[in-house]
Amino acid sequence: MDGYFLGLDKLDENIKGIRAGSNIMLLGPPMSGKETIINNIVYNGLKEGEAAVIVTTREPGENVLQWFEYNNLEIPLEHIGIVDCVTKTLGVPTADTVNIKRASSPVDLTGIGVKISQFLEDFWMKKNIRKTRLCINSLSTMLMYSNIQTVFRFLHVFTGRVKAAGAIGIYLVEDGMHDDQAIATLKQLFDGVIEVKQEEDDHFIRVVGMGQKPSPWYEYTIDGADLVLIGGD
Amino acid sequence: MVETGIPRLDEFLGDGIPAGKSMVYFNHPGVEGDVFGMQTLHHNLSKDISCVFITSSSNPTLTKDQFTEFGWSIQKFEDKLTIVDAYSSLVGDLSNEKYVVSDPENIENMNEIIIQVMKDVPKKSVIMVGSLSTIMDLCGEEKTLEAIKLWNKMAILYDHVIIYNFTAWPYSESTIKVIKDEIFNSVISVGGIAERVIFGQYFGVLKADWADHKAQSMLFRVLRPGGIKIYIPKILVTGPFDAGKSTFVHSLSTRAISVDRLGTTIALDHGHIDHKGFSADIFGTPGQERFDPIIKMISGEAMGIFLIVDSTAPKDFVRAKQMLEITKGYGLPYVIIANKQDIPGAMSVDNIRSQFNIPEDVPIIPAIATEKKGVFEAFELLVEKITGGT
Repeated sequence: MDGYFLGLDKLDENIKGIRAGSNIMLLGPPMSGKETIINNIVYNGLKEGEAAVIVTTREPGENVLQWFEYNNLEIPLEHIGIVDCVTKTLGVPTADTVNIKRASSPVDLTGIGVKISQFLEDFWMKKNIRKTRLCINSLSTMLMYSNIQTVFRFLHVFTGRVKAAGAIGIYLVEDGMHDDQAIATLKQLFDGVIEVKQEEDDHFIRVVGMGQKPSPWYEYTIDGADLVLIGGD
Repeated sequence: MVETGIPRLDEFLGDGIPAGKSMVYFNHPGVEGDVFGMQTLHHNLSKDISCVFITSSSNPTLTKDQFTEFGWSIQKFEDKLTIVDAYSSLVGDLSNEKYVVSDPENIENMNEIIIQVMKDVPKKSVIMVGSLSTIMDLCGEEKTLEAIKLWNKMAILYDHVIIYNFTAWPYSESTIKVIKDEIFNSVISVGGIAERVIFGQYFGVLKADWADHKAQSMLFRVLRPGGIKIYIPKILVTGPFDAGKSTFVHSLSTRAISVDRLGTTIALDHGHIDHKGFSADIFGTPGQERFDPIIKMISGEAMGIFLIVDSTAPKDFVRAKQMLEITKGYGLPYVIIANKQDIPGAMSVDNIRSQFNIPEDVPIIPAIATEKKGVFEAFELLVEKITGGT
């Protein structure tokens, strides 16, 4: 199919790929390994020759790249673009690089939007890459600085851009940080949800909304950079 | 009149913005519209005009740093620049600015500080609201629209010009309508040409109640350093064999490359020029008849044409006119370059005009491409014809 695979074997087998233009919320509790999940999704796309735009609101852009380096994962740097919303707020005078463009702050949605658009244009027009994964890590941080209506308007525009570009968008949301109404409001913009849950010391993942019925819950473990799905319950 | 400092925009506005008027840069999301406001502010500071910048989406230090990305040092104008800090309090930072909005989510507090600064600064200042959309996001649409009315009245009272950067997120239809049609004296649309992605940016005047403005859009690029430059994606350079087309392309361009063999162009010349606020890609065609099919391919979507002729070779003028036909150049703005004026026997411009039998309004520029003489004059003239300048 002319779509995408998360690179998470059992989940991919169950949902049989994700349609180009889809926007997906990644929802899970704190400390459940969501960053590793999102980094795996990015890495699996990069391995297939796709591009990735990562909006980071929690750590500097350099740290995002270092995660791959630290875990000995080779990534094609010309396929990756990071919108760093953190470094400038720390008061560190750091210039943009080829891979990292820095927004003023997580409040600066205009600047964030411009930089996402520039990377999308660069990948499509100049580098001729037809598949891109946009990852926003995280919407929860954005919601700490801006109200739900403001973030909704921003997402309304950029989920549309993802559809137009035939990309996929993954948007990380911390479960338990927002009220149900806020989550329900945001869900209107998404085609599906990757849900993560924790039961005692065990973690589980499933996909909702990408097939006729939700996928089973798969237990997973994280070993270094690897996300290992154990089985459906 | 306060100038915007954006190439061509002041001409569209009838030489700039009169005192007491308000203007909004109505920026579509994802397009580099904020640079318009920054360029306008820097332009006026450099003309020794007192300016105010209201920052609501980044702290004052970062705001100043952003100007340096474009090669604009505003530090040297600090005595003319007043910053209103409507950001630091939002993230719990202390501010060193004199004017601080302590509660940016409270429009009353915002009003109080903005009105105070408009009273305090010299009359005929330029007031720049860095991100109207952020204020609207924090304070609500209706309350912000009411506040804008108040700020615009203050501008009239103190002869200031007030300019807003606004990102047109999907606010309510009524809010967008008020912004586009009712509340500002002038609206400049800054948009993107999008298909799968945004691959081009343009601006145009939607409204200017003091001027008989031209309903025309300009493509632009943002250069770092440099700021907003009008962008012309394709200017064609054509003309007979050995007229000096490649030399012309190389003389004019900031950077250029040719595909040639044995000293003559067999595919194309390509160059890029940044000159006086304009940025253009230039494509030179081969001149030999056997390459005519290539010329047709290269000519598509050109916005203007340089026709290069060798002033010492009138026998080639018929071929030159033929090439203009092949490139469909007659329907486009074009300028004739009378090249090789340094060679004995070169014909004068008047003689060339009579031999060519072309209308008086088609410019013929005497040039010596090898010495860069006449090439920039020709470029400026063609750009004026393409962009509809005066």
